[in-house]
Amino acid sequence: MIGFSWWSAKNDHVDWHIWSGIAILTLLLFRLLWGLFGSSTARFANFVRGPRTVLGYLRDGSKWRVAGHTPLGALSVVAMLGAIAIQIGLGLISIDEDGLNQGPLANLVSLDTSEIARDLHEAFFNVLLALIGLHIAAILYYRLVQKKKLIKPMITGHSALDPGEKPMQPGRWWAALLCLAAALAIARWVVAGAPL
Amino acid sequence: MRIALLAATALLLAGCGQSADKQATNATSPKSGPVLPVTDGNAAMADMHNSPEMQAMMQSMQGAPMAHDAAHQRMHVRHEGMERIGKTFKIVGRTLKSGSPDLALVRSSAATIAGLAAKSPTWFPAGTGPDLGKTGAKPEIWQKPADFVAKDQAFRQASAAFDAAAKAGDMAVIQARFSDLGKTCKACHDSYRNEMHH
Repeated sequence: MIGFSWWSAKNDHVDWHIWSGIAILTLLLFRLLWGLFGSSTARFANFVRGPRTVLGYLRDGSKWRVAGHTPLGALSVVAMLGAIAIQIGLGLISIDEDGLNQGPLANLVSLDTSEIARDLHEAFFNVLLALIGLHIAAILYYRLVQKKKLIKPMITGHSALDPGEKPMQPGRWWAALLCLAAALAIARWVVAGAPL
Repeated sequence: MRIALLAATALLLAGCGQSADKQATNATSPKSGPVLPVTDGNAAMADMHNSPEMQAMMQSMQGAPMAHDAAHQRMHVRHEGMERIGKTFKIVGRTLKSGSPDLALVRSSAATIAGLAAKSPTWFPAGTGPDLGKTGAKPEIWQKPADFVAKDQAFRQASAAFDAAAKAGDMAVIQARFSDLGKTCKACHDSYRNEMHH
């Protein structure tokens, strides 16, 4: 979807680009809610760790025996979600070069702010690209050097665990449904211009 | 359980899709007003197929290249004109999308745009392309002059129609003509403008 956003922006389909951004916003909102109410390995409280744990993991990762994101992987998750949030936020208040389309929240800020936001939105895409590149490089590193397959666990949530490792506690199906409904409701409210 | 979740998700998405669609269209593009019967402007289009402005523009684009300094100056005038049209267009867009559009602002802006658009046939003489200096104007402009002149003509007519609608003051018509005007900007820019970074 980020790829489609890039393509539609490069090819003057600003209306599609805005819709693509709204779709990403919805997914982002779902992931944030799922980080509060979701499965055990998805909850931020369970996998985002302090700097001491991250440093310890960096010194010797072989002793790490917890299912889910590693302390270093957690940083990557936080960085990517944060960067996407910033990118979406900038897009929501941007106006295109000719003023034909604008983000649904653009009218909440001045025209000058919208123009600056567009320039930042364009520049910040490079930060997003760098994080995505790092993400893919890390997956390749684990696959080729550490012989760990991370793509299936990323999608299914299940991986081979060492004895004694506490397995993932799946989220409730109705919690997923409620998170999705809430994400859609918030996205619709944003699309409507965030009326109070 | 998974199947129930998937089915419910699909239903939810399908249910939300349509109304969300409508809302976003309103949020991102001006509402189109009722389609009007053919007006004087449209009828004139046929007659103006080879208007003096179009002929003069074609000649300037295909004639001998301008002298260096004069060409630079013309390029600057073009850039400033386009920038001012863009800025004014955005100001109109903002007020039209706000809850209470400022008709006086729309009127003065529409007059500004129409006035600048009327000068646009003089902005693209031969020798003011990317060979001369930094410009968003693509070389294709001078390779397909007939198409470019026609698109410029459409832009001038749309700006005049928007100006007339603003003077008349019917908000639904103003919205429709504003939307038409934006399409003529896009039609040309998609083919003939490079990205500009200031």
